[in-house]
Parts: sequence; structure tokens; C-alpha cells
Amino acid sequence: MDYGAILGKGAEADIYSFTAFGTEMVVKVRNPKAYRIAQIDNSIRRARTKKEARIMAHAAGIGVRVPRVFALGTFSIYMEMVKGKNANLLEEKELASRRVLGSAGEMLGMMHSSGIVHGDITPANIMVSGNGIYIIDFGLAEMSRSVEDMGVDLLLMERSVSKNGFGLFLEGYKGSNASSGNVLKRLEEIKRRGRYQNRSLD
Amino acid sequence: MLVMGIESSAHTFGVGIVEEGRILSNVKDMYQIKDKGMIPNKVSLHHLKCADKVIKEALEAAGIRPDQLDGIGYTMGPGLGPCLQVGMLSAKAMAHALGIKIAPVNHAVGHVEIARAYAGLDDPLVLYVSGGNSQILKISQDKFRHYAVLGETFDMGIGNMLDTFAREIKLLPAWGSSVEKAAAGGRYIELPYTVKGMDFSFSGLLTRLIELSGREKREDLCYSLQETAFSMLCEATERALLLTRSHELCVCGGVAQNTRLRSMLAHVAAEHGTRFGFGPNEFNADNGGMIAFVAEKILKAGKSVGLNDCVVKQRYRIDEAEVF
Ligand SMILES: Nc1ncnc2c1ncn2[C@@H]1O[C@H](COP(=O)(O)OP(=O)(O)O)[C@@H](O)[C@H]1O
Ligand SMILES: [Mg+2]
Repeated sequence: MDYGAILGKGAEADIYSFTAFGTEMVVKVRNPKAYRIAQIDNSIRRARTKKEARIMAHAAGIGVRVPRVFALGTFSIYMEMVKGKNANLLEEKELASRRVLGSAGEMLGMMHSSGIVHGDITPANIMVSGNGIYIIDFGLAEMSRSVEDMGVDLLLMERSVSKNGFGLFLEGYKGSNASSGNVLKRLEEIKRRGRYQNRSLD
Repeated sequence: MLVMGIESSAHTFGVGIVEEGRILSNVKDMYQIKDKGMIPNKVSLHHLKCADKVIKEALEAAGIRPDQLDGIGYTMGPGLGPCLQVGMLSAKAMAHALGIKIAPVNHAVGHVEIARAYAGLDDPLVLYVSGGNSQILKISQDKFRHYAVLGETFDMGIGNMLDTFAREIKLLPAWGSSVEKAAAGGRYIELPYTVKGMDFSFSGLLTRLIELSGREKREDLCYSLQETAFSMLCEATERALLLTRSHELCVCGGVAQNTRLRSMLAHVAAEHGTRFGFGPNEFNADNGGMIAFVAEKILKAGKSVGLNDCVVKQRYRIDEAEVF
């Protein structure tokens, strides 16, 4: 299918832009991945598309800024276009002056408080627009109250930004998640764990 | 500079010699695994017994005399304590006898740096896949120059997962490559697939495979194992590629010898116009050449340790090692 102009390319999907009834929209399409066999590819693309749309609606419901979803196909999600840039394309200074990481932290805190884990929270999935930030890309999100999953969210963020940037992120996070203490404790535990081990005896 | 490197972190005792970044020789002797995995003390005894012979062969193959050496490197870690000790001991003995400088080397940095050099890549995103480790790496200048870990396994390394399963279904060594061979002609069976952002986990996959091992055909299991595990690695790698906006991708470590994994990664790279490369298999397997290669760089940067300050570190993380 020909969706029109390609706007962005993520790790999982291609984003095309178009205008319908005077509204600028994007469609996120999970196109087949040539590297994996069709059986794995189809089931992953189908399951993630469905879950992403469902959790985006949920996140919007608790006040997290996400693009509005208009329609859903088997491998595609039609949604509101965010006019802005991905946070990983901005310089550290600009990130700070626009309070990007602080508000992203605040939104992740809200999500965790309501039992949503993002699963891929990095600057590549934060968009910065003129009127504030948007959280995007819920393909790996889960409805989960697991402190472990939340700790992993924080770990992912910690590894993708500078030390200072993560500090700003955490300020926002603590402000909106009453149980942030537990998650932070878990984060430290995860970092100490066997995963940071090396070669085993086998 | 003419530098020798000694690798002994696991079952291989390897000695390599490098001159100005060029590998002159790379000799190894491997402890032959029976069916029980490896027992560190037995392996270290093997290393101790073959050390002199391998060192001599490496010198001969390079066509040099010991007194021509300017320095010596050894694997400081990560690895098995008793095995690492043998490599360090050999390096200290040589340094003492010849009055040359010593450079401790991180094993993982060795694999990455030599693969990068052979692949002709400058600053690639790296997928390092070995027995105990599976990591996505990128050079960072934060505080000091090192390989930062962007993603990694939550539990076991992919190599150990492949080996454990191979042993479970009684495939002969070398384990990893025997799974690849046994996968030919297999059909797909659905298996647990676990990726979290740029991290991944193999323990659920292994547990399920072992459950199925009596019931399903061997080739189907091996095929599905490879397709599932490698798809996970590729997915996490692709995500890191997008995040870092790298234009180069490199795969290294023992499992990088797997041709199916290589071809999948080549697809990932092509999709994003990324250059993709890897080193010769001799350097994906454990070897002394890579240790010599990194040791020379360390010594050229003016860093070395005294005879009395040499240590081994079983859990030496790659992001703790300065890269020159
Ligand atoms: N609603 C949107 N409006 C504008 N651009 C978007 C929107 N959604 C995604 N994009 C762009 O497309 C890229 C990929 O989308 P994303 O949902 O992150 O897919 P992936 O799962 O492949 O990472 C984003 O990084 C962003 O630049
Ligand atoms: Mg994304």
C-alpha cells in the first residue's frame, strides 16, 4: 500500500504523513522486517500494533501527552501528527532549557502510578513540540504493576542520557510517582545483579 | 613497537604478537571440553602446562626473538580466576626476564577492537556476542574513553544459552556451531521472545527449549532457537542503531562466527544504510592476537603497570576499561 510521504523511520516502523479533512496526520506502519522469518515477523508486528494503540488510549486517559489515535489497522496506527523533533536530535542545552527531560520524567511517573510501563523510554521516543513534549512509541509497553519492569524503564533512560540529564528526569519522575522510592531502589538492585556479570563457568 | 599478548580467560590459552597494529602470529591451545562444561582448576592446569610451548610457537611463527619484544599484555578479565592467573603469571615472568612493560587488557575490548580494525570501521555500534556476554556497545567519552553498554542480556550470554541447549540434546562440541548445523532444514516452532528496549533475556527461551527437547524434532528446535534468539538480538541492535544514529555496525565475539546471525544483521544494517562488518573467525574465537593488539595501544598511550601491581579481575566490565 502507498501511504504517501515518509516522515520518519523508527526501529520498528515507518511513519508516513498525510492530510485528511484538513487535519495533518501520520500513519505508523510496521512493515515486514527482512531479517526475521515471516512467522516471527507477523506475530510480533500484529501483537505490538494492537497493544500500542490500546495502551496509548489508556495513557491519554490518565493525562499523559500522547498523539491522539484515530484509527487502527492490522499493522498500522493512524494518529495525530506531532509537529516537532525527537529529543535525541536536540543538544543537551536545548533539552535543559525546554525542560524536556523533567517533563518526560513526570509523565513516566504518571504512567507508572497507573500501571503502565513504557518499555522503550529513551530520547528517541520523546518528541518536543512548540507546546510541550509528547511520549510516543508504545510498542513495547505493558500494563504492569511490576516494580522490576518500572526499574527497567528507568535503567533504559539512565543509559540513554547524560548523568545530569538523568538527574533532571528523576526530579520529574519523583514528583509524579508516590512510590518512586521503591522503583529507584530496584533500579540500583538491577544494576548490581547478575546481568552485570561476565563470563560464567560454562 | 613489538608486543606479545596472552589470553587465558576461559578454555583457550592463546598467544599473539603484534607490530604496529599488524598481527604477526596468533597461536592457541584449547582445553578440550568433555561433556560437563569446564572445571576452572582443570582448565588452568591445562594452561599452565601448555604456556611455554604456545609462547615459543608464537615467537617462532612471528619470526622474532624474545629480546626483541617491547612489551607484553595479558587478559586481566573478565574470566575465570584460576585461568586468568596463568596468563598473568606468564606475562609477569616474561616481563621480569626481559625487563619489558606490562599492559593489562579487558577481554571484551580485545574482541571489539580487533574486529573493528579488521572490518575497517571507525566508530561503530557493536554487538558483542560471546559465551557469557551479549552486549550492545558504543564508544563514549563520558569521563574517559570507553565502550558504554547500551543494552545487554538480563541473564545469560547467548553463547552459554546455545551451549547449554546443545549439551541438553547431546550435540557434540563445538556447541554453538553444532546448533547452526543441526538447524538446517528445521521448521519453526513458537518460542518465548523477550526484548525490553535494548535489553533482552534468554532464560525463558532456554527453559522452554529444554521442556520441548524430548517432544519435538532436533532440527526444528535448533532452527527455532536460532531464529528466535537472533531476531531478539537484531531487534535490540536496530533500536540502538536508531538511537545512536550510528552509520556503522560491527559484530564480534564467539557467536559472531554464526553465518545466520551475520546475514540477519546485514539486513538490519542495509535497511538503514549502515556499513556492516566483522573480523576473521580466528579473532572472534578467544585468541592472544587481540590482547597483543590492545596492549600495544595501551603501551603507546604511555600506560603500563609494574610487576607488583598486576591483578586479575573476574568481573571486569567493559565499561570500566579505558580505550586508547
Ligand atoms: N505522531 C507522530 N507525529 C510526528 N512524528 C512521529 C509521530 N509518531 C512517530 N513519529 C516519528 O517517527 C519516528 C518513529 O516512530 P516510533 O513510534 O518511535 O516508531 P518505532 O517503534 O519504529 O521506533 C519517531 O521517532 C518520530 O520521529
Ligand atoms: Mg521509536
